[in-house]
Amino acid sequence: MVSKTEESQLQQLENQVENGGGGAWEYLSLVRKLKLRRSDKVLKHGLTLLNDSKQRSALGADEWTLYEQVAIAALDCQSLDVAKDCIKVLQKKFQDSKRVGRLEAMLLEAKGSWAEAEKAYSSLLEDNPLDQVISMRRVAMAKARGDILGAIDWLNKYLEIFMADHDAWRELAEIYVSLQMYKQAAFCYEELILCQPMIPLHHLAYADVLYTIGGLENLQTAKKYYASTIELTGGKNIRALFGLCLCSSAIGQVTKGRNSEDKEISGLAAAALEKDYKKNSPDKASVLGSTLKALKLN
Amino acid sequence: MSNGGECRYVIGQNAYIKLILHALKHKTSAVNGVLLGRLSGDIVEITDSVPLFHSSQIGLLPPLEIALIMIEEYYSSQGLSIVGYFHANERFDDLELGTVAKNIADHVYRYFPQAAVLLLDNKKLGALRNKKDKAPVLQIYTRDSSKSWKQAEADRMTTKEPSANIVLLDYTSSEKWNDIVDFDDHLDDISKDWLNSELFK
Repeated sequence: MVSKTEESQLQQLENQVENGGGGAWEYLSLVRKLKLRRSDKVLKHGLTLLNDSKQRSALGADEWTLYEQVAIAALDCQSLDVAKDCIKVLQKKFQDSKRVGRLEAMLLEAKGSWAEAEKAYSSLLEDNPLDQVISMRRVAMAKARGDILGAIDWLNKYLEIFMADHDAWRELAEIYVSLQMYKQAAFCYEELILCQPMIPLHHLAYADVLYTIGGLENLQTAKKYYASTIELTGGKNIRALFGLCLCSSAIGQVTKGRNSEDKEISGLAAAALEKDYKKNSPDKASVLGSTLKALKLN
Repeated sequence: MSNGGECRYVIGQNAYIKLILHALKHKTSAVNGVLLGRLSGDIVEITDSVPLFHSSQIGLLPPLEIALIMIEEYYSSQGLSIVGYFHANERFDDLELGTVAKNIADHVYRYFPQAAVLLLDNKKLGALRNKKDKAPVLQIYTRDSSKSWKQAEADRMTTKEPSANIVLLDYTSSEKWNDIVDFDDHLDDISKDWLNSELFK
């Protein structure tokens, strides 16, 4: 998860590098730090850096990190020759390295040689059963092959060992959502909220899932979690504000207005939305108005 | 007509290109969008499209419900309504119309029985560069009386402007997809315009 400041910092660097303003290494390092997937840009600028022998030697030991980063980006962009070349350089420098072995297996994956890649990962895991990255590759491979149930299986096995890996819990939740297994997704988000109660995105995702499942109790709980998201984000999260409005509307429909529902909170949310749109999206303000009206909120 | 069995679909160039550019912008995830238009005799004219989401949370209701209400509110003043749904799967070679897509499509169908579902065909898209083809790089599904979505013959839908694919290729080489805004982008920053009104200017 990337914060807004990090996102804008990244965008700034990206624009700078794209327009020939330099700063490629800073950009690549930031992408690495934030674990983002910007493979086409990484490949382009990383390769330029690597091909410039002066800049390359200026990197010192970081040169090898760059080779690894470019190799992975090349695999993602299906530039297998570039990837092979980078891997060869790393193989020469770090013979018998597990880390390079991982790259070799990823190359097999990119080629679609699933069985060979699986064999490579299994043997790497024999020597290193607690390697998280390799265990994750198994999940990624299953996903890439369209074996979603296999991916769920591997991911659950992974989480039994690495139960503090929040990204993995989120990945599992997202896979469940894509299969419309909302109750299972809800369980994942419950785990995440337990581990990281102050992260608003978990509250928001949980509320979204509960709303999707539906039913009065879930709607009421969803409303609470939209409210906590709003609290944790200082009222700035548009999705949570909308979510709150949707919940009020849906609860009103389900209870046929019998429930003396706390209309105040949804009224506040609606007002916050109107204020925000008037300021930041004035041409959409009237559409917002009629939307809220359709939800019977203004 | 109570089913989509006899009508044809004509999609405007801008509506078509918006959807493909959206898919190209988010290569690593599924994307979806809605088609706006009207029924004109036995032709469904698709005159515009709105890209919706690109996150892995495409199967969740709240953002979808808000988007659909807002879009209907906006376009009804122009005499247009939601006449179809577009989906592009996460994986390159996945040409299955999944349950999430079908559910959303069913919802659209309830309000517009001649609705079409368009599924991006990545192989056709990739082949455009080498084989100049006028046909849209999409699979088309309509809902017959058996209540299930069936793939229709490719010629059921044409682009209004025959040069649509050429323009698309042009935009692809200039990476025009960077300018596309979808509903997800709007929800993250409401100053972003999901109408993409400046896109083709």
